[in-house]
Amino acid sequence: MSANWFSAPAPVTHRIRGYFAPVARVTQTPAIFDPSQQGRFNLDAPPAPWIDLGWMQDLERKPASKSASVLTGIPAATQQQVRQTIDAQLTVHFLAWTKLTMALATGSQHMNVLTAPSGVAPAPLGAQATTAVTIQSGSTASTILLSAPDAEKFTAGSIIAVDQDYTGQTGFVGSPVSGAYVRQALTDVDYIRRVTYNVALVAQSTSAGLTLASPLIGGAPQPGAKLQSVAGFVDREGGCFYQEWSALFVMDGSQGERIIFHYPRLQPLKGAEEEVAPLSAKNKSGQSRVQLVGQFLALPVTDPSDGERAVCYRSFLPAPNALV
Amino acid sequence: MQNAKDSFYMALRARLTSVNPQRTVLVRGAVRPGILVEEAEAPFSQIPNDVFVLRWLGLAVDMDLCSAMTAVECEIQYQTCGTLAFGGLDRGRLLSQMDSELVSMLSPSCTPKINYSTMPPSTMLTQVFWDEPIIAPVAVQRDRLSRSARVMVYSYQEQGE
Repeated sequence: MSANWFSAPAPVTHRIRGYFAPVARVTQTPAIFDPSQQGRFNLDAPPAPWIDLGWMQDLERKPASKSASVLTGIPAATQQQVRQTIDAQLTVHFLAWTKLTMALATGSQHMNVLTAPSGVAPAPLGAQATTAVTIQSGSTASTILLSAPDAEKFTAGSIIAVDQDYTGQTGFVGSPVSGAYVRQALTDVDYIRRVTYNVALVAQSTSAGLTLASPLIGGAPQPGAKLQSVAGFVDREGGCFYQEWSALFVMDGSQGERIIFHYPRLQPLKGAEEEVAPLSAKNKSGQSRVQLVGQFLALPVTDPSDGERAVCYRSFLPAPNALV
Repeated sequence: MQNAKDSFYMALRARLTSVNPQRTVLVRGAVRPGILVEEAEAPFSQIPNDVFVLRWLGLAVDMDLCSAMTAVECEIQYQTCGTLAFGGLDRGRLLSQMDSELVSMLSPSCTPKINYSTMPPSTMLTQVFWDEPIIAPVAVQRDRLSRSARVMVYSYQEQGE
């Protein structure tokens, strides 16, 4: 009888897939990833609330937890160790510039540049925007219902931002992703739509409304939500706000094994940074790709199973038929 | 390692059938997908046009692992003169199409290892996997455009191999 198992060497992999999910800032609740139920998920269809950020490069994990020795005896010798600090850092290169990757690779708020009418006073984050249009009830995450006159204002290929009017509130704003923390009341009615992550590309525009190329990450628009056109994105070096995300990095091995790094809480460690990489190693002054570099500090959570604090979970799902 | 070589070839053959079912070749009276293994056919002085031909080259073995890993280099050659209907003026387009088919055949870069010497073929425990191809420049010989790509194919030796 032939063996129905084999000794698997160390995993061989060459790509890393990344997923992020918002942390509920008000309740300080990170996204949970359960390897027992979700470990073998289809990389192209991650479980909610994880958002696919595509393939990444150069994931570098830096465990920085420190231990201290407890010395006893004469002469003193280490009797045991105690955990002194829990710390970890993470660097990753994103292979695409999107709203989310750009936001992750910046140190503070990430803003939508709302389209402005011509002639208004210029502003670094974008001028006073064109008035938002009201979203009709019955809209979904992928279909935005508008009145016919409003729908005419948007064409296929437009980028839109969907969220509530700002009405003078303070604290975290934006849902489900807190895009900013407002310390004192502002006057810009469009401020939440400037920081919202509910942005999407319009795939089709009809008299009934808009069909989006990808669903809004916040799901169906909330009652009272409005919509504005977005020209692009902007962030700043500076500011006091720290974004916070849960992150998942997946490496599939050649034999069907899977390594998963789950960081429940990540905050940006540095300001916006890019790396310029020539497309051809033979022509370093030729065309170059500008990659976003995300650098993060992992923050701890208390594991409900035993009360221990941790900053990262590393899961390994062995290859089928591999000895463990 | 023969099982790995067979599995790699059969995976590419199945994928080619899906990518372009019209790419076929008549071999010994039988119409087959247009991909051949040179060492498994009668010798030919010139590789046939519009067909992928696999040639096995170098071999390396890493014995330090708990399961020995073999790396076999595969060269995939293909060429075209275009079609008679267009007087060969479409040869560049046809080569581009074969380039595209090659890339499609090689993705994803793994396939189950199968023992084709048994009847029916038996699926083994491990997977065969490979690197991204290193694609050579086009070679021009009169009206013939040809290209080759090299792929390193890896596999783990299983008990009984």
